[in-house]
Amino acid sequence: MLVLSRQRDESIMIGDNIVVTIVDIRGDKVRLGINAPSEVPVHRQEVYEAIQRENLRASRLDPDETRDIGKLAGRRPMPGGDGPRR
Amino acid sequence: MRINTTRFGRIDIEADDVLHFISGLPGLEDCREWALLADSTNDALGWLQSTTRCDVALAVVCPRRFVPDYQVRIPRSELTPLAMRNVQDAQLLVIVARHGKNLTLNLKAPIVINVEARTGRQVVASGDLPMNYELIHERPPLKKSA
Repeated sequence: MLVLSRQRDESIMIGDNIVVTIVDIRGDKVRLGINAPSEVPVHRQEVYEAIQRENLRASRLDPDETRDIGKLAGRRPMPGGDGPRR
Repeated sequence: MRINTTRFGRIDIEADDVLHFISGLPGLEDCREWALLADSTNDALGWLQSTTRCDVALAVVCPRRFVPDYQVRIPRSELTPLAMRNVQDAQLLVIVARHGKNLTLNLKAPIVINVEARTGRQVVASGDLPMNYELIHERPPLKKSA
């Protein structure tokens, strides 16, 4: 891993089109701003890894296991997303 | 074109029906081309079959069939790579997995498809949405005792 020290408002360039900026530092929390092309996904690592695991799990599913899905319903009211809706 | 699949055997698909996922999917980054198959025995379900890896397929459903109040906020940056300005033009699907005995839906990271452009992408929706939302057998309504 490359380790660099940066202060607030300083930036790092990754490749030729990704810029990471230290927006704020408060206690043990750092706010990062990321400028990247729209086709490059940017996520908190733990979220990305959780999606990876979930996709790999899903990719093992067999049609036999889904036969009865038409008879199922959601277990509970869904916790809300936020903001304007689709 | 003819593709081999481990679940469905050999199937024929039109080149025009292939969906292009420019970044693949997390965990399946090398799978960039997919075909959306209907399940002939099950109208609640479809299968996203990789056209390059015969053993890779994902069961997908229309989320509102199971979660009628499913609402997502998708950041514009997630839609731009699909050449899509309006999320209304998208087809939204969620992936089915199994946790223990239950089938679950990934409501946090739905698949967005630009039907016209034949492109797709798995996006991360904002908000506190579950990645493994459990589906259960519907309980019959309770009857009042006499």
